[in-house]
Amino acid sequence: MTRTFTCILCPNGCEITASAEGGKLTGCEGNRCPRGREYVRQELTCPMRNIATSVTVRGGALPLCPVRLTGPIPKEEIFRAVGAIHAVSLEAPVRRGQTVLQDLLGLGVDVIATRAVSVLDGRDG
Amino acid sequence: MNRRFDLVIIGAGVIGSAIARELSRYRLKIGVLERSPDLLGGTSARNSGVLHAGFNNEPGSKMARFCVEGNRTFDRTAAELDVPYKRTGKLIVGFTADDYDRLLSLKARGEQNGAPGFEMAGRERIRELAPAVEGEFALYSGSTGILSPFQYTLGLAENAAKNGAEFFFSHPVTEIARIKNSWLLTAGGERFEARWVVNAAGLFADRISDMLGIPGYEIYPCRGEYFLLDPRLGPMLPLPAYPVPNYKTGGLGIHLTPTVDGNIMVGPSNEYIDEREDYAVTQKVMDLLIADGSRIFPHLKREFFIRNFSGIRPKLSGKKTGGYHDFVIERRDDLAPRAVNLVGIESPGLTAALPIAHEVIRLIREIEPLEQNPFFDPIRRRTPSFRDKTPEQQAELIRQNPDYGEIICRCETITKAEVLAALHSPLPARTLTGVKYRCRAMMGRCQGGYCQTRLADLLMAETGLSREELLYSREGSWLFTGEVHPQ
Amino acid sequence: MKAAAKKIVIIGAGPAGLAAALRLRDRGERDIVLLEREREPGGILRQCIHDGFGLTRFGETLSGPEYAARFTERAAGLGLEIVTGATVIGLTTDRVVTAATREGLRVYQAQAVILAMGCRERTRGALSIPGQRPSGIFTAGVAQAYMNLKNTMVGREAVILGSGDIGMIMARRLTLEGAHVKAVFEIQPYPSGLPRNIEQCLNDYGIPLYLNHTVTQINGDSRLSSIVVSKVDEARRPIPGTEREIPCDTLILSVGLIPENELTRMAGAQIDPDTAGAVVDEHYQTSIPGIFSAGNVLHVHDLADFVSLEAEALADSVLEFCSGSLRGCPIEVSGEGCGHVIPQRVSGKADVTVSFRPRRPMRGCIVSAVQDGKRIASKRLPRANPAEMERLSIPASVFLSQSPIKVVLQDD
Repeated sequence: MTRTFTCILCPNGCEITASAEGGKLTGCEGNRCPRGREYVRQELTCPMRNIATSVTVRGGALPLCPVRLTGPIPKEEIFRAVGAIHAVSLEAPVRRGQTVLQDLLGLGVDVIATRAVSVLDGRDG
Repeated sequence: MNRRFDLVIIGAGVIGSAIARELSRYRLKIGVLERSPDLLGGTSARNSGVLHAGFNNEPGSKMARFCVEGNRTFDRTAAELDVPYKRTGKLIVGFTADDYDRLLSLKARGEQNGAPGFEMAGRERIRELAPAVEGEFALYSGSTGILSPFQYTLGLAENAAKNGAEFFFSHPVTEIARIKNSWLLTAGGERFEARWVVNAAGLFADRISDMLGIPGYEIYPCRGEYFLLDPRLGPMLPLPAYPVPNYKTGGLGIHLTPTVDGNIMVGPSNEYIDEREDYAVTQKVMDLLIADGSRIFPHLKREFFIRNFSGIRPKLSGKKTGGYHDFVIERRDDLAPRAVNLVGIESPGLTAALPIAHEVIRLIREIEPLEQNPFFDPIRRRTPSFRDKTPEQQAELIRQNPDYGEIICRCETITKAEVLAALHSPLPARTLTGVKYRCRAMMGRCQGGYCQTRLADLLMAETGLSREELLYSREGSWLFTGEVHPQ
Repeated sequence: MKAAAKKIVIIGAGPAGLAAALRLRDRGERDIVLLEREREPGGILRQCIHDGFGLTRFGETLSGPEYAARFTERAAGLGLEIVTGATVIGLTTDRVVTAATREGLRVYQAQAVILAMGCRERTRGALSIPGQRPSGIFTAGVAQAYMNLKNTMVGREAVILGSGDIGMIMARRLTLEGAHVKAVFEIQPYPSGLPRNIEQCLNDYGIPLYLNHTVTQINGDSRLSSIVVSKVDEARRPIPGTEREIPCDTLILSVGLIPENELTRMAGAQIDPDTAGAVVDEHYQTSIPGIFSAGNVLHVHDLADFVSLEAEALADSVLEFCSGSLRGCPIEVSGEGCGHVIPQRVSGKADVTVSFRPRRPMRGCIVSAVQDGKRIASKRLPRANPAEMERLSIPASVFLSQSPIKVVLQDD
């Protein structure tokens, strides 16, 4: 089986043609770095993605705080993950890098705030 | 409970507002019913913004008389109501011998109508007046000008409100009955009772006329599309430039008009449509505007296009007859006692608005004396416009009010002070477009890319409207479904 | 108005302005002020909450706010003067900068001015899409600001016009926040955003991308009710008979960015019609001495990393200018087969890297610098894409004369 992949690991977006047998990677062409091969291997078994969303902040200078995951999760878990994150609400002030959720859905990654949010009427984060 | 008034005006366009303003000189309790959620929802906001001289209309017609009169008295009107305007003069350019003859007859008609300041201009004179305009020769009309149709309508309406007229928005009139000696109107789910009714309903004037018991009128909606150009081109066109008009079609031809704010408008086209409020723009007409506009102004290029829009003329002359039907301004005591019926108020209605209002008053006074309102104040003032000031004046404005130091609309240099003024004027903005028309934020080349989120914030903060309730312009034009994440 | 003397005034505290300021500071310059119209520095990155920033520069993948924080936190630590809430309303040829703030007008007489104002989005009006004028039509960046900064949801059923990166990123964001994104339509025969975004923003969510399609009609007299899309021919003209109506309440436009050069024009600097940014020399100096330009205000970049790197190179030139030692740049540079070339003038006395964008997707192509009919530098590109900026280095040693240089991109 031969399939084409667009590697998403960096802005190069290499178009990789991979051949696989029984889910095992046998050939890989078009990747400009070794990470491309790893990407394809992962795509063949369990595609992984990082996601970004936001959560509400109570009493903050901004209504929302943007968040992301500390590492990728299986693609099929994205919507469940977003649901779990949306259930969270933070209290201002929020620190950049602050853990918003630990071990999201037991997937081994944390959700972290990607900016500071100061208390309302205080200085913007 | 009925709301009681001496007089109810249907429609808060420039005509309804002018009537309200002039009638507020008298001791009358005035109500104005407007179907849109805000002022400027219809034709009054969607036109060329030209102060016409009065050479396009038949001598002796109301159109001609009121246009010339409106032009003659506009200096004072603008001073009282703080309306930005400029007597730029205007060129009607021609290319052929036939054109030349038609321009001569236009000139003769203008002079017969009593408009001043005409001259025939050769190529040299055209160059001198407008170097970028093409044409072999032209009729120059010295008394023509440009004005802000937004500020004129706002000025009239705000001044009327200041002098006691009450405005009801989102109040479309759905029923009119004559009970005993008064009119009973249903509008926006409320009942209004009045001795007098004035129909200034513009595009819907025929329907209101029917409801009043005066049948037989039909409004033929006739759409005109425009392009709005980047103010970078503005200096190239100091005055309106028109082609020789074609009276068969009933429009003035694709022309180029500078706006008081420094843009140029190209248009309007002239197309009879079925839907009265189909404010669409079409590919066909856009192509036509570019082709026709380029003939007299060869600098039209796509990179200068900011926006397209269309306006709809409420014409009494249909596609077959074409041309212009004179304004109908009548009192039909036989069919509808104590009602003044205005139908077919199209161009030059903007220029003629105050003389039209005076005609309405004349018709009322024929059967009822009016007593002066001793408290009438003719003056309306806008908030100072930051961008029109010198740096020293700007510094002083900020010193007096720090909101002047916060630029909300970057393209047009509109400050928070001016946005807040729009939200707290005598008839405050209630929609995003209402804010735009009042203070010009979002009218620039980025079309709100920078300021729209800020305006929405201010609009919600000052009016208490929620995200879901916020409107872009018309009823139903919701902007948001709510919060991304409910708090 | 009395002007305060300032060595370097930077207009805009986004990635370009901040990177330039920090570089100047690192090289010992302290007489700098940044003027920022927002309430905080960071520029457009503040609303780009997705990850993928910083791989080239920091070797890790950051969200926009985190990338901005790399600069803003350092700036704060160094006590760099950043005036926020300051909108520049005047810039003269002799470098007088006027900014409006709530505290009053600030007027500076600068020795050097750095333009770092970024860009704005192309709008429906600029495209002249036919149809009615309902609510529900947003540029991608405005929708992004509403959603990511204002907690405001713009619609339920969305269609995206244009395959720019922000549009695709908003397709994913809308989907994750509960809206239904029906499709992305692109008028060109190739996508205008990065391949990785097609993969992770569209393909991952089953959002179809239709090339050679555009919106030919907008319906709805209050809120958007539907759009009509049509296929287009090679000349991008809609093909009659291919119309398809799609019910939706939201149309997101991601149809291009325009460098924001009103102040540049006000100062009288020459503008390149291809980039819509200033014409600059290899020092990033505009046609007005002492006024420099870098980042998205100069030409639209694909990655924030290249914005900040370009701004740092600019900062070095500004210091040379202030000490009176900038080389003259008599050699004109133009492109052939590529959209635009930056810089438009070089000295021929120093190594220089030119940036350009291909006009169409190409596989196996060669870019060369040609002077006096001779190829003086070249590079093979296995793949070139209009969505990505490419570069070619020309060493000082290879220049033959002061004749113009042509940067030629052609199939191999």
